[in-house]
Amino acid sequence: MRLAYFPGCKIPFYLKEYGRSFEAVMGKLGVELVSLPFNCCGYPSRNKSLEISVLSSIRNLALAEKHGLDVITPCKCCFGQFKQAVYWWNNHTKLKVKIDALLKKEGLAWKGKTQIKHLLSFLHDDTGLEKLKQQMTRQLPNHKIAVQYGCHVLRPFSITGFDNPYAPQIFEALVNMTGLKTVEWSKSTECCGNPIYETNKKLSLKILLAKLRSAADSGAAYICNACTHCQIQYNYMEMEQESEKFNITPVLFTQLLGIAMGLSKKELGIKDNQLLNL
Amino acid sequence: MFQTALYTAISLSILGLLYQVFCFVRKNNAFEGGKKSAYGHNSKGFFLNTLFQVKLFNAGKARWLIHFLVVSGFLYLLIIHALDDVISFHWFEYYQPPLDPFQFLRNLAGFFVLVGGFGFLFRRVIFFKTLQERKILLKGLFSILLILMLVLSGFLLESVKILSEPVFTQMVEEYSDIDVGEDLEDLKVYWEMQYHTVFNETLVVSPEKFENGKILSESFCIDCHSPIKSAFISTAMAKGFKKTGVWLNQHRVDNFLYYIHYFLALLILVSLPFSRLFHMFLIPVASLGENLQKEHFDSNQGFVNTATLYACTNCGFCSDVCSVYPNFLVTENIDILPHSKIESFKHLLNHTPDKPEVLFRLQSGNADCTYCHNCTDICPSGIDLQNLWATLNQQLALKGYPDNYTFIRNKSLKEWVELAPEDEKVWSTQKVTTQLADDVSSFENCVQCTICTNVCPVVEHDGVDNDMTPQQIMNLLRLGKKHLATGTRMVGNCLTCFSCQEYCPQGIKVADIMLELRNNAHVRADTMKLENLTNKRDDK
Repeated sequence: MRLAYFPGCKIPFYLKEYGRSFEAVMGKLGVELVSLPFNCCGYPSRNKSLEISVLSSIRNLALAEKHGLDVITPCKCCFGQFKQAVYWWNNHTKLKVKIDALLKKEGLAWKGKTQIKHLLSFLHDDTGLEKLKQQMTRQLPNHKIAVQYGCHVLRPFSITGFDNPYAPQIFEALVNMTGLKTVEWSKSTECCGNPIYETNKKLSLKILLAKLRSAADSGAAYICNACTHCQIQYNYMEMEQESEKFNITPVLFTQLLGIAMGLSKKELGIKDNQLLNL
Repeated sequence: MFQTALYTAISLSILGLLYQVFCFVRKNNAFEGGKKSAYGHNSKGFFLNTLFQVKLFNAGKARWLIHFLVVSGFLYLLIIHALDDVISFHWFEYYQPPLDPFQFLRNLAGFFVLVGGFGFLFRRVIFFKTLQERKILLKGLFSILLILMLVLSGFLLESVKILSEPVFTQMVEEYSDIDVGEDLEDLKVYWEMQYHTVFNETLVVSPEKFENGKILSESFCIDCHSPIKSAFISTAMAKGFKKTGVWLNQHRVDNFLYYIHYFLALLILVSLPFSRLFHMFLIPVASLGENLQKEHFDSNQGFVNTATLYACTNCGFCSDVCSVYPNFLVTENIDILPHSKIESFKHLLNHTPDKPEVLFRLQSGNADCTYCHNCTDICPSGIDLQNLWATLNQQLALKGYPDNYTFIRNKSLKEWVELAPEDEKVWSTQKVTTQLADDVSSFENCVQCTICTNVCPVVEHDGVDNDMTPQQIMNLLRLGKKHLATGTRMVGNCLTCFSCQEYCPQGIKVADIMLELRNNAHVRADTMKLENLTNKRDDK
């Protein structure tokens, strides 16, 4: 299977290990990832202009369509933005005309064929739990782990179509397969706070802190992320450790899956001093 | 005279260099609140990028080849040919300019430069439109034309010298004991046939004369003269000029060309610190500095070594890979693209406050950067561009050009509504919105049940800092106070988590409306900023 790999803007500099472990896991599953000269998905620009954000997404999709490929991304914000863009492109005639004209100037056109997949729904729906199970060579210890769903895949469901937005279960199902035990926690589907980190750091970290408190109350030792922005946000918790200490480690789902598949720490971009208990 | 000119040129060049270094230091000191400590050294990148232009090779093979041809050819000509008095005559025992392999290599090196130089110009023609759009069409043209003219004048000089009778006579007088008479005529016959010299008189040719001329040439000339065909370009040109040879010789065009050639070389030397050519010193400087890594990035912004800014050669690779290129397509603000931001950054450092619009556009463009590191990764000059953008944000804020979020937050709602401009267009092409906030049917069904407010994390955690709740925003719209709503903290701080929208029992697109209001707020803020700037200037 061949898919166009959309890493998004943050992986290449801020979260190399996510890209690395994602590629390793996909390689193990026999998925060939193709790199295309993508631009930003448009997620950051949607604060500023609908037009820019939709053009950015559709331009990427047009590029993928030109190569006859569907797009996969490990980032939930990118995924959400793609879905939003497709929605507005389909339902806003004036916008569509404008976007298509801009694309035409560059010799591009999107016919609407490209499918956009997120890592989790791809593993759950396309690969399937059975096949995933076969690839696993070891069971991880049954430590408690909290999963961070991420808002932009969940909501609005009418657009993202990812999972039940009130009681999602895909992520838990996937994490439980590795042997780790997911916990129930009240803020599992709430925002991590990252979208406003650049503009309102104080509030952003306050929201993060509330999430950590809730996860700690549930007894989780890890918080599992499958989103670039969420993981980056949880990595900022070190800044807040002075006021309140949490014994929780944010961890990328692809790294957990990779370990369960028998991939080495090096292949997964895990440093020697990280995830010692797994 | 030549000596005086040379020393003057060298002095001017060194003075220029010192002046530039002085300027760099002065500009470096102008950064407010920056930290210089985080810069490590990248000696590997320094060597590879300076000697082999490795980053350019990775970015584009064809352009690396063009660059390599010019550099290798020019370096050879500089060291072996131009500096032969101090280098070649000492290094090589038998060095004489018209002797092989030097004669051949000189032509080959010149050929390299010509191919590279014309390749450069050719590319400018092919990509005329793009380069013009990006305002880099004419950048660096001065230097490449100078180099091309230097090399072409060199070839012209050599070919005219090949034809030259006066030079021939001068050499005979200096290096042989042939005076006049038959021997001289025989030598002329031989040189006319073998070396393409053009003589004013008509020579009678016979095999005996040719043989005698050959013997004479072998005893007096051959030690310094290889067969002329190894000067493959100059010989070909000389053949072309042969018909005008007599005229060229009469007017001593060779002397004239020598002045031109020498003058051009000096001009390059003098212009070095102020032209594109300066990059040969600045790229090593930029490549030596290590790019800031993630771990130090946030805590070490605020300073860039100005010299690295001038290492930019306007190659435009950064803009080709820029993640927010579509933003440029919509707004047509060229200061979204890295290559242009660098130019504008230079304006900022050069203190050109008479054009505040430049800085306004720069702020707006730079705010779009997603810090994806693409430009830094590809930059053939090894400039730490990403650090540049972060620093630029800081410096612009300090100089009174804040980001839109801060700008709006620092205004009271009263001020925001009163100051709001009538006409909102800054980026002329940016007009299409989700069209929800102006459409009554999209929010009239709101029953003020407060579910959106109850699920909103901003309301939950922002406490007294927050001003309105989502359901109050909906109410503002119903009251026709859209402009007021755009300035609220609720709209500014919305996480776009879409909880409100998902849970709304009336199916109102609360989050989409929030985003649209935020879009509006951006346009309004931009318009207000620009109006402020124009008013300020008019007041002056």
